[in-house]
Amino acid sequence: MRLTVEAALRRIGDLLRDDVAPDLQTPFLGQSVRMAGSVLTICANWVDDAAAIRVEENAKLRSILGLPAASDPGLRISQLDGENHRLRLLLIDAHAAAEAAEDAPRNAAIWALLEEIELARAQRE
Amino acid sequence: MSDLEARITAWLAHRIPGASGIVVDGLARIYGGSSQETYRLRGCWSERGEAVEKRLILRRDAPAGLVLAERDLEYNVYRALAGQGIPAPEAHFLELDPAWLGRPFFIMDLMPGKPGNPFGADPYEGHDESVARQFWAVLGRLAALDHRKLGLTSLRGGEAGSGFWRLELDRWEGIIDAGEAVIEPIVRGAIRWLRRNPPAEPAKPAIVHGDYRSGNFLFTADGRISAILDWEMCHIGDPLEDAAWGIDPFWPITRHLPLEAGLAEWQAASGIQADRRSLDWWRLFSAVKACAIWTTAEAALASGESHEMVVALSGIRAGHFHRKTILALLREFGEMA
Repeated sequence: MRLTVEAALRRIGDLLRDDVAPDLQTPFLGQSVRMAGSVLTICANWVDDAAAIRVEENAKLRSILGLPAASDPGLRISQLDGENHRLRLLLIDAHAAAEAAEDAPRNAAIWALLEEIELARAQRE
Repeated sequence: MSDLEARITAWLAHRIPGASGIVVDGLARIYGGSSQETYRLRGCWSERGEAVEKRLILRRDAPAGLVLAERDLEYNVYRALAGQGIPAPEAHFLELDPAWLGRPFFIMDLMPGKPGNPFGADPYEGHDESVARQFWAVLGRLAALDHRKLGLTSLRGGEAGSGFWRLELDRWEGIIDAGEAVIEPIVRGAIRWLRRNPPAEPAKPAIVHGDYRSGNFLFTADGRISAILDWEMCHIGDPLEDAAWGIDPFWPITRHLPLEAGLAEWQAASGIQADRRSLDWWRLFSAVKACAIWTTAEAALASGESHEMVVALSGIRAGHFHRKTILALLREFGEMA
């Protein structure tokens, strides 16, 4: 099948925003459908590398936490998110401990990683 | 007549027993108001031999939204602020019984003017500086009011004399705890910073709007702010909380007037000297609070409680913006390299 989820979402988003919304009778519905188109476009931009981003992020979290390199429990987004949440909780504890110990290099390294993670996850619109 | 118009007509007949010939028409949902559903309508009736025609706004609880609105809070605030120098609509009726329209609602006057789109190129149509000066002056007048004299002690913080920062931070951290599916260490780091570096106590407890920003007030064609709207997050606290929310980079009033000039307006109207270190604290708090609101939006959408597209877009897009804002502020404050 050549039609990817990404392409399908993008086409539906375009259709809602450009073709359906202008013909709706009330401003409220028109605006809602235009926004629905934008939501689908964001989802389309997000879906292709969603698993790759999470796998990479989880590896970086394990590394900064000093955990052994390991595979994620699965490649479904829900499984990757579950593991990501677990690792993030450990990182929050480690971050708080670094602050309490006034360990400036450790604190800086954690903030730098968090910034890197945030930028990697930025929505592409 | 739509079904909703018919139900409002029946409710008005119940609510105003002396009214006859009640007609409700022109009902249209207004875009925005993502924590409550907002409708414009016209109501006509006869009462004691007089013809009454009112252009009205009906605000009905949404099944779920961006914020956790308390049912009668906004109505009570509008009533309390009448005649206090704060531009706001007159609120007429409150109905808590969901039997009438499915959910509680209240009705107030439709005010002249329109909201500026904070994301638009020219939101105030050439009146930017004047609108921004009024924005700060109104906020200053709000800070100068005595909430006890206005009967607003039942608002959150209304009986507290101090510790408003902790009250608010605890509240919004709790909302994040309840709504977050994947925890955000940036937000948690910001919360720890806020707890380690508390602000000074405010000069006086003030009525805090809670969502005082571009987009939540109306302005007229001649550049006058005609109404401050959306008071559902109103509480009592540090007046700098609203000032910080208004300059948040997502909807900054500082686009239209530099901060120093705005604070001068605010200080003149409030009689309070702004503590800049405390303002910085509330700026970071604002970014955390915004993250909490976007978290709530995402959770409402994920659970199916909300079908509102503005909630969807906010939940998806704005969280990232405010986590970046947190990082920028922590860098500004010297916490990050």
